[in-house]
Amino acid sequence: MAASLAAIMAVASCGGKGEKAPGGADPTKADKAAEAGAGKAEEKQAADAKPSLWASDPFPSTYAPYPSGTTVIRGATVLTGAGERIENGTVVLADGKIASVGGADVAVPSGAAIVEAKGKWVTPGVIDVHSHLGDYPSPQTESTSDGNEATAPNTAQVWAEHSVWPQDAGFTRALAGGITSLQILPGSANLFGGRSAILKNVPARTVQGMKFPGAPYGVKMACGENPKRVYGEKGGPSTRMANFAGYRAAWIEAADYKKKWEKYWEEKADWDKKNGDKKKPSKKGDDNGKEPEAPTRDLKLETLAMALNGDITVNMHCYRGDEMALVLDMAKEFGYKVQTFHHAVEAYKVADFLAERGVCAAVWADWWGFKLEAYDAIRENAALVDAQANSCAIIHSDDEYGIQRLNQQAGLAMADGNKMGLKIAPERAIKWITAHPAKALRIDGETGTLEPGKMADVVVWNGNPFSVYAKAEKVYVDGALLFDSKDPRRSPRMDFEIGQRSAGFTGGAGQ
Amino acid sequence: MTMNHSSLKLLTASLAAAAASIAVAGAQTIAIQNARVYTMAGAATDPTGGGVNNADVIIRDGVIAGVGQDLPAPPGATVINAQGRVVTPGLFAPWSQIGLVEIGLDDEANDSSTEDDFALSAGLDATDAFNPSSTLIPINRAGGVTRAASAPEPGAKMFGGQGAIVDLSGAPGSINRAQALQSVAMGAAGAGYNGGTRLGAWASLRDALDEARAYAANPGSYLMRPREGGLSIIDLKALGPVARGAQPLVVYLNSATDIRALIKLKAQYGVNAIVLGGTEAHLVARELAAANIPVILNSFLNLPSQFENLAATQTNAARLAAAGVTIAFYDPPSGAHNLRLLPQLAGNAVANGLSYGAALAALTINPARIYGVADRYGSLEIGKAGDVVIWDGDPLEVSTRPIAVLIDGRITSLKNRQTMLRDRYKDLSRGDLPHAYRGAN
Repeated sequence: MAASLAAIMAVASCGGKGEKAPGGADPTKADKAAEAGAGKAEEKQAADAKPSLWASDPFPSTYAPYPSGTTVIRGATVLTGAGERIENGTVVLADGKIASVGGADVAVPSGAAIVEAKGKWVTPGVIDVHSHLGDYPSPQTESTSDGNEATAPNTAQVWAEHSVWPQDAGFTRALAGGITSLQILPGSANLFGGRSAILKNVPARTVQGMKFPGAPYGVKMACGENPKRVYGEKGGPSTRMANFAGYRAAWIEAADYKKKWEKYWEEKADWDKKNGDKKKPSKKGDDNGKEPEAPTRDLKLETLAMALNGDITVNMHCYRGDEMALVLDMAKEFGYKVQTFHHAVEAYKVADFLAERGVCAAVWADWWGFKLEAYDAIRENAALVDAQANSCAIIHSDDEYGIQRLNQQAGLAMADGNKMGLKIAPERAIKWITAHPAKALRIDGETGTLEPGKMADVVVWNGNPFSVYAKAEKVYVDGALLFDSKDPRRSPRMDFEIGQRSAGFTGGAGQ
Repeated sequence: MTMNHSSLKLLTASLAAAAASIAVAGAQTIAIQNARVYTMAGAATDPTGGGVNNADVIIRDGVIAGVGQDLPAPPGATVINAQGRVVTPGLFAPWSQIGLVEIGLDDEANDSSTEDDFALSAGLDATDAFNPSSTLIPINRAGGVTRAASAPEPGAKMFGGQGAIVDLSGAPGSINRAQALQSVAMGAAGAGYNGGTRLGAWASLRDALDEARAYAANPGSYLMRPREGGLSIIDLKALGPVARGAQPLVVYLNSATDIRALIKLKAQYGVNAIVLGGTEAHLVARELAAANIPVILNSFLNLPSQFENLAATQTNAARLAAAGVTIAFYDPPSGAHNLRLLPQLAGNAVANGLSYGAALAALTINPARIYGVADRYGSLEIGKAGDVVIWDGDPLEVSTRPIAVLIDGRITSLKNRQTMLRDRYKDLSRGDLPHAYRGAN
């Protein structure tokens, strides 16, 4: 596990060589520290030199791929997610992995199940970086409303996975929309909302059974209106300046906490070295000092310290471009990296800064106006972000219906980009819902593209996926066929839905 | 794509020039030639939509003056060669708060619903607050929406208030029909206003209709009755036309049980009921058709989001249309901001079994029929309003946008706040002056 995690982290930086600050200044030390964050985590994991308290997961993934044979999908238009479009393409899935991708000449292994896909399109499984499935499940009742711990501006101690109800029917509908991996985020009431959960979209009895093996956690933060609105009359923050004061105070505390633990680990390592096998009772008179005592754990600070250390990705809900620029400077101040701005409605106003700093922008195709900080949305937002070199444009949903058609949302955004002359081909736009979200979640070493060795997370569409008429016909997760629009036995239905008389007329996921 | 980029550009440029000249000259004669025209005329909907290639549409004095093939352009007409592109009637949004809301979460910029325990409800009138200068109007017009029902939503009480039929010209006189509809929240939402049960909601609705009739029968004596916590006079006045079936009542509900209760209410009271929501309407499709109750639905809804939505399915539209129910689409989360996405709802319904023709009808003629304004709007027929859209592809596709939108025979501007922001920021280089100096005109 440690090795594969290291592999994920090694390729995790989201663009960003030779970064410059918004003002054009040279990279600072803090910048470099932020860039090095992922590398440090990798070292720690690989060498296991430090105690693994922060990196270990007390709720480890128990996900295991379902059985699959060898499958050959051939004759389709293949968008690899790595920038290629292959006509009359062949994709071979074996042992849960992508075995090969190419044209009609790719060898067909003997005994493989053949899917004739002429006229169909094949893409990597779709990934949504912003979902609340499970935390705000169907049915939406007070009993199930578990997505937003709006009781204090900093609730970094809460973990979204502890709210995820694996029986949310939304997961099944998302599967029918081609979603194979997704990030469940806490809500955005708070400056720090808590940890995210990254899941494979495979039904399980437990959330651990859905957790994406080895995916680093994320932390959710929020800019602007929401924290102000929720806490303005509850002791603050009531202003954007107090939002920033709140973030910075928390980072200062987290940096201290991190230092305290690092000091302890150092002393402990020294002590262990002096005492040899610590289980052996020390000889009388052999005074190597008292064994250092571990600091008391603080879940809130642990999450933030891990974010500072680069072990946890920072997911910042931020609509306005000017606020994004401030957040980037704050990240520099404290030496962490903002992985992704979510709901980045004004990303187009600062698309150059984002690309320079290697930050992903996750956006809707065209939601706007529901609040003032969403007033300046434009339909070309994703396309203009994407037009920058080294950019990372993502289409996200934040919605249990939107997640079912991220392909269409990407189609909307691509069309508007093309109409302003940006010339975005399908093989590029598909990255907005596959490779780029994988990068944002630091799972791009394992999924997000159709490349040999990666998880066989694959969607066969009935046609061009960017069409309003597109439907996922077959969805494979780790090579296992988990949704087939033509086969009700390959269509999951959650506990809540079975035995409901009125729900018995279609095939579950594809309902 | 049947037309190359440069010819499209040429067409767009000529349209812009035409728009500029028309702005000065007022309504004039326009001949759209060489189009694939979907008129949406006629009672029975052709499953294909009945598109006719190489067809022309003549618009004179704001109304359709001719539709067909090989029509000669009237002398002096502005001729638009559509180069084979699709032409449809303008889209008609059957449920919205356009002109009533600018920013959802900004109280001062949102008149779409009253809050807390505000006393009045049915008597509210959208025309008092409809803002033709809202930025939402040109933004949605650029998506092909030319007409809409604009109505306050139930907020403090179960009745929403009186809605209007409006156009999206942005002109001061864009109220086409005032007091065109009333709305009421039933189902789970209605229960919330009425002691927490659907029983309370239906009893309250019947009570309100009875009261409205009593008031209408004898307004003078009614003023003397004690009205503790009940409807105010202005509400009862407004409900008069509803109670006698003269004004459509848009009823928000979802479950099959509630829909059956509505069918019963219609039989008892003769109200002109329209279902809004109707996630389980497909389970009662034949009864709805027999009762002549249309359904305004969201074709995305397929989750058991409440107990009243257990049977929600993306095939709702197709099943209702197959049973002969008049359907149209709405998108509740967008309220008014993204009426331009109605074609996506229609396209998804087609992907789930609805015929193409029925989908186009749901976007155009059906809303006009639902509100009793089909004599003026919703199809390209001689004498009707010149609401016409020329599209750059299949109107239901997510990749398609209008290249021309006509309202009452006028070519409208497709420029809006969003296109201006785009043009301001498409080049992020520092330049000689700040971005605040760019693209503001």
